[in-house]
Amino acid sequence: MQLLIKKVTIISPTSKYHLKKKDILISNGIIDKIADSIVEKNAKVIEGKGLYVSVGWMDLFADFCDPGHEQKETCITGSKAAAAGGYTDVCLIPNTNPSNSSKSTVEYLKNNSTIVNLHPIGSISKNIEGKDLAEMYDMRLSGAIAFSDGKKPVQQSGLLLKALEYIKTFDGMVIEIPEDYSIAQNGQMHEGEMSTRLGMQGKASIAESIHLQRNIELLQYTQSKLHVTGVSTQKGIELIRQAKKKGLNITCSVTPHHLLLTDNQLITYNSLYKTTPPLRTEVDRKALVKGVLDGTIDCIATHHTPQDWDSKQVEFEYAKEGMIGLQTAFSLLLSVNENIPLETWIHLLTDAPREILQIDKPEIAEKSKACLTLFNTHEKWNFDATTNKSKSTNSPYFGQTLTGKVIGIINNNQWHFNE
Amino acid sequence: MRLSVKHLLGIKDLTKEDIELIFQTADNFKAVLSRPIKKVPTLRDTTIVNLFYENSTRTRISFELAEKRLGADTINFATSSSSVSKGEGLIDTVNNILSMKVDMVVMRHSASGAPHFLANHIQVPIINAGDGTNEHPTQALLDAYSIREKCQTLRGKKVAIIGDIMHSRVALSNIFCLQKLGAEVLVVGPPTLIPKHIESLGVQVTYDVREALQWCDVANVLRIQLERQNKPLFSSLREYALFYGVNKKLLDSLQKEIIIMHPGPINRGVEIDSDVADGPHSIILNQVENGVAIRMAILYLLAGKTSAE
Repeated sequence: MQLLIKKVTIISPTSKYHLKKKDILISNGIIDKIADSIVEKNAKVIEGKGLYVSVGWMDLFADFCDPGHEQKETCITGSKAAAAGGYTDVCLIPNTNPSNSSKSTVEYLKNNSTIVNLHPIGSISKNIEGKDLAEMYDMRLSGAIAFSDGKKPVQQSGLLLKALEYIKTFDGMVIEIPEDYSIAQNGQMHEGEMSTRLGMQGKASIAESIHLQRNIELLQYTQSKLHVTGVSTQKGIELIRQAKKKGLNITCSVTPHHLLLTDNQLITYNSLYKTTPPLRTEVDRKALVKGVLDGTIDCIATHHTPQDWDSKQVEFEYAKEGMIGLQTAFSLLLSVNENIPLETWIHLLTDAPREILQIDKPEIAEKSKACLTLFNTHEKWNFDATTNKSKSTNSPYFGQTLTGKVIGIINNNQWHFNE
Repeated sequence: MRLSVKHLLGIKDLTKEDIELIFQTADNFKAVLSRPIKKVPTLRDTTIVNLFYENSTRTRISFELAEKRLGADTINFATSSSSVSKGEGLIDTVNNILSMKVDMVVMRHSASGAPHFLANHIQVPIINAGDGTNEHPTQALLDAYSIREKCQTLRGKKVAIIGDIMHSRVALSNIFCLQKLGAEVLVVGPPTLIPKHIESLGVQVTYDVREALQWCDVANVLRIQLERQNKPLFSSLREYALFYGVNKKLLDSLQKEIIIMHPGPINRGVEIDSDVADGPHSIILNQVENGVAIRMAILYLLAGKTSAE
C-alpha cells in the first residue's frame, strides 16, 4: 500500500523539511521518501492546490459518550469525526456510564483505537463522585494518559490535594476545568450584562478564577503537574501566566469556540451556545487570543461534546451543555482573525499537546512512522449532514460553509481522506 | 396600525410605538369593560390555549377573562410540575394542542427563554405570561398603563422597584417598559437580591428603601419569591420586613405622596404592610382591573386585527 503526496508544504518545526514544498512517498505506514519530485506508478496520488502536511493533530479533551450514551456518540463515530477533522489522536474524558474509573474501561477505550489513537483519561475520583480517589496507578499502567473528573471538576480541595500528590508516583498529570460550583450554582451562562438582559442566572467569572487560584495553590504545595482546560476568562489566563512565571508545572488549553464566540450569541436563547465553561465577553475572548499569541495558552482542546436532539431541543435551562467540535476546530481556528500565523495553530494542534502529555512526538522524516494530517487553508466546505461524521449535530456551525479544509489523515498504516 | 412583532415574548422586543398602540387599544377596551354588556365578538372563532407550566391566579384569570370578553374560545392547561418531569417535552405538548386547530398560545413557564424557544418551532402567535426570571411583559404593560392613567404620562416620572429584583421577571419587564416610555428607574433591595450587573441596563441602584422612596414618584413593591431561591438570600422574613418592608410609618415620615403598586400576590407584613397596600395611594386593584384591558388589547393586536373599533 503506497501513497504519494505531491507538492505538499511541510509544517513541522522539528523537521529539516520545515516550510519546504516536497513530494512524500509512504509505504506500509512508513514515510519512505521525501524529495523534490517522486514518481511511483503504483501509488495512490494525493495532490491539490495549497496542500499542507503536518504531524497528526491531537485533541486533549473530547467526549465519545461510549460506553453509556451511545445514542450521542460511539468510539466508532467519534473516531470518524476525529479523522475527518484531522485528528490522529484523541484524549477521551471519563464521563461515561460506567465512568472511566478502572483498568477495564481504560482498556476498552484503548482497544477501540483504529486509525485514530484513543487515549483514555482516567477519573480522579471513584465513579466521578468527587469523594474518594479512583485506582489511578492501575489505570495509568493500563494506559490512562492523564487524570480528570472531566466535565465535573473536583470541588473538594482535599481530594484534589490527594490526587496531585498521588500521581507523582507515576509522573501523572491532572486535568481540570476551572469552575467552582458553589459560585456558579444554577448559572446558565456567563454572568454579565447579557445574562441580566436575558433574565438568566449567570456563572460569574470568579467561579473560574477562585477555582483556578485554589488549584494553583494546591499545585504549588504539592509540586505536581496540572493542566487547566477550557480557560475562559481574562483573570483566569492571567493567573496561569503568573503561575508559569513562578515556575509551576502548569499548562492550559482553550477551545476554538471560546476563541471565537462571546455571550452575545445567547441573545436568542439558542441552546447550541450553552457550554461549560460558558462563553464569556469580548474582553475575555481578546485575552484568550493574547494568551495564544504570547504562549500562555499551550494547546487547543475541542471539548467535543455530542448531545442528541432531545438534549438540546428543549428550554434553555433544561438543555445539556456543549457542542461537537472535532470536525470544525481547524476552520474555526483559521477564522480567529487576529494575525495568528498558521504555524502557531499547527504547533498547538501537534507538538504542544504531546509535550504536555509527555508522549512521543511523531516526526516528518524518512523512515519514520507516518502520522500525518493533510489540509489546506483556502478551500470552502459545508459542514452539514453529508459531511458530519459525528452521531450528533449539536454545533452552531452545522449547516454553514467554513473555510480551510482538512484533506485527510494517515496513521497506523491506514488513511482517511475527506471527499 | 399593527405591532412590529408577531409574538409578545418580552418588552425588550417592543418599540415605543408598539407600547403606545397597545395603550390606545386598551383605552378602547377599558371603555367596553365599563358597559353593561362587557363582551365583544372581535375574536369569535379564535381558539386560545392558556398553557400554565407554573402556578398563577391573577394572570391566568385575567387572560381568561380577556379572552372570553373578546368572544374567543379558551382552553386551559395547567401543570404544577415542569414539562420535563412529566415526560413530555414542551414542543410535543404544544404541537399536540396545535394540531387540534388552536390559534394562539398564552404561556407561563419556569424557564427563562421558554417562549422564545417555542417561537422557533410553532407558527401561531405566542404571548409570554411570564418566563422564569426573564420577563412578564403583560404585567409591565399594565403597570405602566396604570401609572399613565394616574399621572397622564410616564415621561420624566421616577419609579422605584423595591425588593427581590434578582428573581423577578416583573422587575426586568418593568425596567424595559418604563425606560422606553421615558421614565427613570431605580431598584432597591438587599444586595443579595439585586443582580450584579443591573446597572448595565441604565437603572440606578440603592440598598436603602427610605432613600428610594424619598426619590421616587411611584413605588412598585415586589413580592419576595421564596420559591425561586435555592438557598436563602437574606436571613429571615422578619429582618427583611424590618429593613426593606414598606410601611405606613415610613411613608408618613417622607412628607410626600407616592403612588404604591404591587404585582401581587402580596405577602402582607413582609414586603408591604396592609395599611399601605389598602391605603389611599395604592393603585394595586387598578392594576388588576387594567390587566384585563391590556391583555384584551394584546390578544386583539396579535390576532392580526388592525385597529380597535
